[in-house]
Amino acid sequence: MLLQQLVNGIVLGCVYALIAVGYTLVYGVIELINFAHGDIYMLGAFFMYTFLNFGVPFLPSFVLAVICCIIVGILLDIIAYRPVRYADRLAALITAIGMSIFFENIALLIWGADIKRYSREWIPHFFKKLFINLPNEHFQNVFLTVSYLQITIIVLSIILMIILHLIIHKTKMGTAMRAIAQDKRAAALMGIDVNRVISFTFALGSGLAAVAGIFIGMYYNSIYPMMGYIAGIKAFAAAVLGGIGSVPGAMLGGVVLGMAETLGAGYISSAYRHGIAYAAMIFVILFNPAGLMGKRKVDKV
Amino acid sequence: MERKLKIVGLIIGLFLPLFPFPGIDYITRVATLTVLYIVLALGLNIIVGFAGLLDLGYVGFYGIGAYVAGLISVHYGWGFWYLIPLCICAGALSGILLGTPTLRLTGDYFAIVTFGFAELVVLLIRNEIWLTRGPMGVAGIPPISFFGHQFTKEWEYYYIIFIIFLIVLLFIKRLENSKIGRAWFAIREDEIAAQCCGVNLVRYKVLAFAISASIGAIGGAFYARWFRFIHPDMFKFWESILILCLIVFGGMGNVWGVILGTIVLIPMTEILRNILPQEFVQARYLIFGALLVIMMRFRPNGLLPFSRERKDENFKSS
Repeated sequence: MLLQQLVNGIVLGCVYALIAVGYTLVYGVIELINFAHGDIYMLGAFFMYTFLNFGVPFLPSFVLAVICCIIVGILLDIIAYRPVRYADRLAALITAIGMSIFFENIALLIWGADIKRYSREWIPHFFKKLFINLPNEHFQNVFLTVSYLQITIIVLSIILMIILHLIIHKTKMGTAMRAIAQDKRAAALMGIDVNRVISFTFALGSGLAAVAGIFIGMYYNSIYPMMGYIAGIKAFAAAVLGGIGSVPGAMLGGVVLGMAETLGAGYISSAYRHGIAYAAMIFVILFNPAGLMGKRKVDKV
Repeated sequence: MERKLKIVGLIIGLFLPLFPFPGIDYITRVATLTVLYIVLALGLNIIVGFAGLLDLGYVGFYGIGAYVAGLISVHYGWGFWYLIPLCICAGALSGILLGTPTLRLTGDYFAIVTFGFAELVVLLIRNEIWLTRGPMGVAGIPPISFFGHQFTKEWEYYYIIFIIFLIVLLFIKRLENSKIGRAWFAIREDEIAAQCCGVNLVRYKVLAFAISASIGAIGGAFYARWFRFIHPDMFKFWESILILCLIVFGGMGNVWGVILGTIVLIPMTEILRNILPQEFVQARYLIFGALLVIMMRFRPNGLLPFSRERKDENFKSS
């Protein structure tokens, strides 16, 4: 039981981490809580559903859905956030909330409010097989089933995180991102095209969110327009938990939150499953706003 | 001041003529709802507009007010007039409880914590079935009565909320031009500068929170006794966003703007509910989302922006 909960927690945590990284990247670069980020995750799941529904095979659908989300992310930045970038912080935050509502309702209009499911024949057989299946003859008292889908989520998340780390620390674009995070104006004076780098950040975050959305769609096999709302908030909680602005922190926060949630739901109260994430987030913000791995910031006059 | 008086006259002029049509319940009901939302929006405006803190959890106080009023009137049969002070206390208390620890947070974190608070309130209401009846909702809340006369007609409720609105409006206008109001504006413009000028940040922020929460709770109490049924889904995040939208649309910080924004938007949602085809009705919030984005882009200060020049004149003349 405990082992099973831990595995489930890690899988959920990896998905949260994939979304949380998007929050943290955007916050790190332009100090904006991108409320619409959770909805990009939702759109990822729905794009995948649409392409599969049109009869596109699994892998091309996957790639197309991720590309679509990246485009949506870039458009989101250009159309909504760029005009208010130098305005009030409150204005940018309200814009983000507005975009989130906009996406949710667009999805509601296009795909309807009822729960959609990926049909069994759309998904490759590989994901349905079990990687570990206990009990077998040797282990009588241990119950544990792990599917290849779960293994894929964990492995793919780790690979994507490593790639992300390399992008941020080894490429020119990553250096530019870190420069903008430190000082936007100075970075612009050094010849960095700030708008392009910010759009790239949004693209990166949106792509990862789309992957998370697709895998959650396959894992729970139910997608609906409001799914981005709760997942988005939890991923944000994960980002805060790890220290917003810190990429390794977001990964750690995601896994910790995913485990806390499944263990809490399993052993404390399943009714308060979402509450655990909110409560964790509030406590971290109140008592250690810098998070587990973030840096403390001092307000200067 | 003359212009403001004219606007007040206009508002009263717009609402009072409903009186001859007590028969048209639907229109009266929409008017009552509009005035209720004006009261709520005025309450939120204290935190967001005056003190400049983005509060995404306002609906939590509204829900607390509604459930305190609803449960106490069902179980103990208290009258509405006793419930109002009780709800003010409950609202203020929860406002202070939430406000005190969150005060040192800056903009974004503050918004998120208040959001989390509202979500936790809804979760508690939904799950503590022994207390709140959870997802079944609280039914059979008695109507408001006054010296033995039970109010059952729609227009009677319209006047009750209208009187509440006038009292709240008067209270807020007095606050706005007082020392407290000016302290809030100072905090909104520049927290550090305000602190350097001797404004006690903690005290004024808690005060803003408590007053805003109390007004939200009054709105909730009225709603419970008017609608006579409350359900956790009525107090979801959407409501907070809707009320925020009213403020942003009308003009953050400007009381008249907030009133105008509500008068435009709330009837509009009702009209949309009726004229849109069935499949679009669910998605009518799309317009609110787009509206928020467009307002921030082209007119970030709303329809009736808060103007500082005019304020300065006021201070001179008074």
